[in-house]
Amino acid sequence: MNTDALFGRYWDTKSPIHSLDPRGKLIALLVITIALLTAGNYAVLGLEAVLIAVLYALSHVPVQQAFRSIAPLSFIVIMTAIFNILFIQGGTVYASWGIFVISQGGIESAIFLSIRLTLMLFIACLLTLTTTSMDITSAFESLLSPLSHFGVPTHEISEVMGMTLRFIPQVVEEWRDIRAAQMSRGAELSTRGNGRKLSSFFIPLFTSAFRHAETLSLAMDARCYHGNQGRTRLHPLIFTRKDTVSLILVALDLVACVVLNIVF
Amino acid sequence: MINFDNVGYTYDRKTYVLDDVNLDIGEGQFVCILGGNGSGKSTLAKQINALLTPDRGTVTVLDHDTEDPKNTYFVRSNAGMVFQNPDDQLVATLVEDDVAFGPENLGIPTPQIRDRVTESLKMVGLSGYEKHETHALSGGQKQRVAIAGALAMHPRILIFDEASAMLDPAGRKSLQKICKKLNGEGYTIVMITHFMEEATLADEILVMQNGKIVTSGSPQTIFAHPDKIEHLDLDTPFAATLCHELQDRHIPIRMHVKARDTQEEIVHLFANIYGSLPHVNDKKIQGYSARYMKAITQARLEQEKLRPQPKSNAGATVEVQHLSYTYDPLSKKQKRTISKDTEGISWALHDLSFILPAGEFLGIAGHTGSGKSTLLQMLNGLLQPTIGQVFINGHNMSDKQQASQTREKVGLVFQYPEKQLFAATVAEDVAFGPKNLGCTDAEIEQRTNRALELVGLDPAEVRDKNPFTLSGGQQRRVAFAGVLAMRPSTLVLDEPCAGLDPKNHQAFLDLIAHLHDELKITVIMVSHSMDDLAQTCDRLLVLDDGEIVAYDTPEKVFRNGDALREIGLDQPQPQKMAESLARAGIPLPMDKLYDMQTLVDSLVGAYIHAHHQQKPGPGQQAGGSHQVSDSNDVKGASK
Repeated sequence: MNTDALFGRYWDTKSPIHSLDPRGKLIALLVITIALLTAGNYAVLGLEAVLIAVLYALSHVPVQQAFRSIAPLSFIVIMTAIFNILFIQGGTVYASWGIFVISQGGIESAIFLSIRLTLMLFIACLLTLTTTSMDITSAFESLLSPLSHFGVPTHEISEVMGMTLRFIPQVVEEWRDIRAAQMSRGAELSTRGNGRKLSSFFIPLFTSAFRHAETLSLAMDARCYHGNQGRTRLHPLIFTRKDTVSLILVALDLVACVVLNIVF
Repeated sequence: MINFDNVGYTYDRKTYVLDDVNLDIGEGQFVCILGGNGSGKSTLAKQINALLTPDRGTVTVLDHDTEDPKNTYFVRSNAGMVFQNPDDQLVATLVEDDVAFGPENLGIPTPQIRDRVTESLKMVGLSGYEKHETHALSGGQKQRVAIAGALAMHPRILIFDEASAMLDPAGRKSLQKICKKLNGEGYTIVMITHFMEEATLADEILVMQNGKIVTSGSPQTIFAHPDKIEHLDLDTPFAATLCHELQDRHIPIRMHVKARDTQEEIVHLFANIYGSLPHVNDKKIQGYSARYMKAITQARLEQEKLRPQPKSNAGATVEVQHLSYTYDPLSKKQKRTISKDTEGISWALHDLSFILPAGEFLGIAGHTGSGKSTLLQMLNGLLQPTIGQVFINGHNMSDKQQASQTREKVGLVFQYPEKQLFAATVAEDVAFGPKNLGCTDAEIEQRTNRALELVGLDPAEVRDKNPFTLSGGQQRRVAFAGVLAMRPSTLVLDEPCAGLDPKNHQAFLDLIAHLHDELKITVIMVSHSMDDLAQTCDRLLVLDDGEIVAYDTPEKVFRNGDALREIGLDQPQPQKMAESLARAGIPLPMDKLYDMQTLVDSLVGAYIHAHHQQKPGPGQQAGGSHQVSDSNDVKGASK
C-alpha cells in the first residue's frame, strides 16, 4: 500500500536540521507560524518564503517529497481561496451571481491567504519530515512539563499523541480494507449515506481500533510501561549551542517581520 | 523456574478460564502449549508475565510470586512476551525506539540502552534496521522487532502467544529458527501455537482444553496416538501421521514427529531389505526451473488466447487479458503512453492473461507481495487495471459502471472477514448485502436463512445473537454467510483459513469444497498452504513478482519442487516426502502427485514388493504374518 505521501512521514537524511533539538524546532515552528499569521504584506511573506526555502535546502529533503507530503492537504488551501474569492468584496467587480461576487479585493485576498497557508503547511511539514514522532512527542512533553505542577497529565497527553501518529498508517490501511469489503457487499459510501450503510463502515473501524488499543496496552504493560516515573530515554533531549543559535536566528526573523509589517 | 500451583482464573466470576492448573517449567526448557481456540492458552501465557494474576492458587516466576505488586516489573522484564498481531505490539515509529521502549521503562541509563538495542537487533538478525520505520516492515520482520524489544529487557523467559499465526510460511520459518537459536543460548521458551509442525520443536508439549492441562509429554509421546488427541481439537504433524498410517498397514517403523526423521527411518527400512539403495538420477525428479516453467506457461497461455473463445454466453467465466497494475501515482502523460512506454514503473501485476472455465476451483499461490491480493480486488472491480481487462461472465470489470453492476456476482471474502462485522444481530449483518441490492423483505429473509444454513449455522439459533459474542470460528462463518447472501456466481477467498485452530481450519476447507460442489459456483482461493491448495483445487495459478509463473493442474505444478522453492513456495508435504524418498533410491513412481493416501499405498506396495524380491520364502503368508508381528512389536515398544 502506498502510504509514502502521508503527511507526517519521517524522511531521514541526517542533515543539520535533523540533528537539532526537537524542542527548539517546535518553538521555531511556533514562531514562524506566528510570523506568518501576523504577516500584513508580501514583504513578510517573501522573507518567510526565503527562510523556509533555506531551511528545506539545509534539510536535504527532496523538494518532490515536500510537495507530495502537503499535496493531500492542498484542498484546505483551495477551499480557503474559493471562499475568499466568492465572499470577500472590494475594488473592481468582475462578475456576480446573487450573493457571490468576484471582485479584485476577493482575488487579492485569496492569493495572499493561499500563499500564507501554503507556507504554513510547508514549515509544519518540515518538522515532521525531519523529526521522528517519538521526538516530537517528547519535545511536547518537555515543553508542557511546567503544567504538570498544576496537575496536567503532560506525559500521558504526549504519549497519546505519539501513539496516534504511530497508528495513522495502519488506520488508513484498515479503512481501505473495510471500505473494499463493504463495497463488495453492495454498499457505496457516496450514495445517499443512510445510517445503516455508514455504520457498516464505521463500526468495524471503531471495533478494530478498540481491539488494537486493547492489545497495544497489554503489549505496553508487558514491557513494563508504568508512566513517566523513573523512565530513561534512548534519545535524551539535549539543548546544545547550535540549538540556541538557531533559536536566536528565528527570534531575529520575528523581529524582522514585525519591522517589515510596520514599514510597508 | 515457572511454577503454577492450583491456578484458577475467571474473567466473569462464573466460568473458570483456567481451572486447577499445575505446571512446572524448568530453566532452558522449550515448552509448547497446544489447544483449540478458547481453551485457555493465552490466559495461561498472560499469567506467566503477570499481565494477569490468579484468582485461586499461586504463580511463581523465578521464585517471585506474581501476585505481589512489588514483583510485577521483575516478572515482566524477566518474562518477555511476543503477541499474535505484529501491528498491535510495536509502540514506536522507528525500529530502534521500539526496541528501546522496554529498557527505557526500566530506567536503564542511556548508553546501556543503545548497547542493548544493538545487541538485541543483532540476535534477531536485524542489525542495520535501527532507523527503519516499523510499519513498512514485513510481518515476519515486525515479529522479530517485537522479539528484540523483549530481549532488550534481558529476560530469561520468552513467551510467544501465537506469534506466527499471522505470518506467511517464510516468516514463520524464520521465527522458528530464532526460537530454536534463542533456546540454544539458554532462554526458556514458552510457545503457544496452532501449527503442529512448530510443536515438534519443543521438549515438552502441554495440551489444554476447557482451562485444564489435559495431557503433557514430549512431542513423540503426545503425537504417538492420534486417536487419543483427536477430541482435543489437535492435529498430528504430517510426519507422525505418515508413520501411523504405515504402522496401521503393518510396516515396521517407529514413530517420528519430524519429517527428516521419518524420512531417514523409511530409507533405513528399505536399505535393510535391499542391502543398499540404487543411485538415482536427480534429473528425473527435479522438474523445471522457475524460469523455464514461467516461459512455457506464458507460451502456452499465449497460444490458448489465439483460439476462438466462447464469449458472454459461457457462464461464469473469468477472463483476464494483458492485465497490469501499478500503485505508482501516474501523471496524465504517463497514463496516455503507459501501454507503450513502461520504463521506471514498478508493477504490482504485469501482463497477466488467463481464462478460467466456469465452475472450476482455482487456487492462487505466491509469496507475500507477489500480487495475489491486488489480483483479487481487480476480479471484483474494486481496483481498475492500469492496462488490460478483466471479464466476469462477459462483463468488463475494468469499466467502472459495468463493475458496479456485476460486483454482486463476485463474492469477495477478505482475510479475517470477521473484522467487517458491524450489525447488532447476525441476521442483520447477513442481510446487509441483499438489502443493498434492494431485495424484498421476504427475499431478504429467505436469503439470510439459506446463507446461514450453507455455512453450517442454524438460522433459528444464531439469527438474533450479537455476532461479537460468537466464537472466532463462528464469526467467520457469519461473515462468510454475508457474502453468500449476495448469491454470487463466483466466490473469491483470500486466505480463508488464516488464524484458525486445526479443527476449524479443516472444517472451513471442507465448507468451501462443499459450497463449490453444492452451489456449482466458480471458486478462487488464495492460500499460503500448499497442502490446502493440493487438497481443493482443480487448477493453480502461481504468481511471482506480479507475473504468472504457472497456470495448470496442481498435479503438474506441484511436481516442480525446485521451481516452487526458488520463488519462496514449496510442495505439499506428501509430494515433498515422496520425492526425497525417491531421491534416496526408494522405488516410488514419479508419475503422479502424491497425497497422504497414495503415498502410504505406494510405500506399502514398494515394501511388500521389496520383501518378496529379497526374501523369496516358502510363501507370502509367512512374510505377511511376520510383518504383522513386527509392527505389533513396534507398537508395543512405542507405548
